Amino acid sequence: MLAEGALAAGCRFFAGYPITPASEIYEVMMRELPARGGMALSAPDEISSLCYCVGASLRGLKAMTATSGPGWALMIETAQYALMTETPVVVALVQRLGPSTGGATQGAQGDIGLAEFSTSGGYTLPVFSPSNAAESFELTIHAFNWSERLRTPVLLLSDKEVGMTSEVVDDEALQNPELVNRELATAQADYAPYAAQEPEGVPAFAAVGGEIKATVTGSAHDSQGRLRKNSPQVIDVLQRLQRKIEAHAEEMALVRPDLDPDARGLLISYGVTARAARQAVGKLRTEGWRISFLQIQTLFPIPRKWLDRAAAGVEAILVAEENLTGQYRAALTPYLSGKRIFGINRIGRLISPSDIARAVEGVMA
Amino acid sequence: MTPEALYLSPTAKLPYCRGCGHLLVVRQLSNALEHLGLPPRSVVLTTDIGCVGLADSLFPYLHTVHTTHGRSTAFATGMALADAILEPQGLKPIVMIGDGGAMIGLLHLVHAAQLNVDITVLVHNNFMFGMTGGQHSALSPLNWVTATTPEGNWTPPLDLLSLLRTAHAAFLARQLATSQELASTLADAINFPGFSVVEIVELCTAYGTRWNQVSGASLQEIILRQGYTLGEVETEMERPTFRELYRHEMESPRPKRAKPAVPCINAPAKLAGEVRLVVAGTAGERVQSAAALFCRAALAAGLYSTQKNDNPVTQGSGFSLSEICVSPKPIEYTGMESPDVALVVSEDGWKELQANGTVAACREETLLLLDAEIEAIPPRGRVIRLPLRREAHPKRAALSAMAAWLAKNPLLPAEAWQAVLAAEPAERRAESMAALEVGRRLACCSGGL
Repeated sequence: MLAEGALAAGCRFFAGYPITPASEIYEVMMRELPARGGMALSAPDEISSLCYCVGASLRGLKAMTATSGPGWALMIETAQYALMTETPVVVALVQRLGPSTGGATQGAQGDIGLAEFSTSGGYTLPVFSPSNAAESFELTIHAFNWSERLRTPVLLLSDKEVGMTSEVVDDEALQNPELVNRELATAQADYAPYAAQEPEGVPAFAAVGGEIKATVTGSAHDSQGRLRKNSPQVIDVLQRLQRKIEAHAEEMALVRPDLDPDARGLLISYGVTARAARQAVGKLRTEGWRISFLQIQTLFPIPRKWLDRAAAGVEAILVAEENLTGQYRAALTPYLSGKRIFGINRIGRLISPSDIARAVEGVMA
Repeated sequence: MTPEALYLSPTAKLPYCRGCGHLLVVRQLSNALEHLGLPPRSVVLTTDIGCVGLADSLFPYLHTVHTTHGRSTAFATGMALADAILEPQGLKPIVMIGDGGAMIGLLHLVHAAQLNVDITVLVHNNFMFGMTGGQHSALSPLNWVTATTPEGNWTPPLDLLSLLRTAHAAFLARQLATSQELASTLADAINFPGFSVVEIVELCTAYGTRWNQVSGASLQEIILRQGYTLGEVETEMERPTFRELYRHEMESPRPKRAKPAVPCINAPAKLAGEVRLVVAGTAGERVQSAAALFCRAALAAGLYSTQKNDNPVTQGSGFSLSEICVSPKPIEYTGMESPDVALVVSEDGWKELQANGTVAACREETLLLLDAEIEAIPPRGRVIRLPLRREAHPKRAALSAMAAWLAKNPLLPAEAWQAVLAAEPAERRAESMAALEVGRRLACCSGGL
């Protein structure tokens, strides 16, 4: 469904390299994309996969690749290049048990840190995390839209359980967000490739091979794309790269809230664990517990207004995620001051509704 | 504007040391482009890291892409690939990379050669890393003195062109930066419709000539001493280009792998709540495909289902299992806290269910339908043993187990099974029907189901 979402989003270029549990996306794109006027190609490694995608995007095509943790580790250099050059591209990162080669056929939510905190300079990479097949379709379209609109790499953080579990999807209930395309530069003599109207703006795009000269560079540059040292303009560009993401944080925020105005506790989850959490919340409520639930789909930028709203009035907050150290909990904690915060964590298999219910009862009792 | 001004800016201050080979190359590249008369907007100059990577700023009318170390070839390949499905076509990526970049990005050169994608790569081989202080590279000649080989290089240099020739590169040439023929070689390479590489041999005057007794005049000697030749290397030049290969591939009839259709039937299942089922057996014995058939039948009968498969990292050995949930409502949790039913058709499957905790999670009311060959005694649950492997076939045991279970517990209407079987390929359908029949027969003779 993630691949179907990419096709629906207007993806026209895919380069892939086999890796469990992302290979199915690769296979579907190889089969379907050429038939729909695009190009799908096997790359000789993950570095090449993302480089080909970035090259294709520079030429003007919407592009995506799919990988898992070990492949993403290799792609980080190129993802940073896409960030610096403001090249739209989408990477589907289907997580498996790590570190290193880890467990190829076991799910995990252990790449939150590796995904988000992968840039020199600490830039915010937008990250969307689907919990089921339908969300995989919908969030992929959102990922492409934001990638195009903000000219930035965007990550789709799925995992083995979401990506490889077959399930029934109600076609008619699927949301089809309106498609967004990058704003194109119109021919003008004073086109500056990295200049925007506002400090948090996005420059218009000139495709390599088009009528307007494209100047692309991954080195620190001014608004003209010139390498400069000790230039305030370079710092302006470096700041704008972050500001353009932050300025759209609330608009990018996608959540599935299930809030109880009288809740004493708030359960937060994302990805596949959100499904167990939702089931646990249903059961806990039938037993009389007052609890709110927030499934976060836009992991980064952190949907802070939704956090504030969901956390208002509650005493305790629990974050359920399938990793050892609570990677997303650690990212959320600075925005949840004054609350007691607990993690529900395990690795090696799915966190179950009972695991979550027990933890909630333990904290709230 | 003079033609020359379209390419190398006449006012450009060239950012290179006195005597550096890069000075010659950028001028000769400009001459080659001028000779070919290529419209500047049809060329994209893709530069790597190092002193050579500064060249993009010298060509103000070409598209320029300054990239990461070694990856310039891969980015240029991506642009050329995309160009092959766009109209109008004709983008000409030219890559400028050093000997260091060529080695760290060797894979990209090899793959571009295999694809025969229309890019030209200029490898500026000055035998060392210049910008970072004169370290030796994979292309340094033997005994070459560098910051990291002060006693002389002792690893044999890589013959890049020979290597790329084995990767089916279609146009390969080697020239000295000082050669009078450099511009015409560059023009031939750029004009070539597929993958072309020119290794340009030059000297780093900051480090190469400081530490080694060499001058421009001795370049040729260094090359010949390594057994290399100058000029074009013989290749399979008649190979089809990437554009031709891709067009041919797309125009060839491709077998369509149709998704198994899920027919709709007018006999919805009457299921009150969700049922969690695990099917476990041996890899290669159609355990997961039996599970998929069941889920399609459930879908045909208007139910929601999830099917979560597991197997070891290898595909065809060890266990294979599917955890299934069917429900009249959308399903959240896809795991198996405690199964309602476990169909276990081989020893491999049983051992895995023990290892992953499923056996321990069974309740007294869990139905455990085991193949008769499994000797283990489950700690709890309603246990039924049937000779599935013997009576059906190991590859049909999972489906037979399902049929046996469903014979006494009609979760799904018979129409749902008929409908999904009708959608199967004819060969598979006959086998599946036989498997279901065995299961039903065994169920008739067995109490407790």
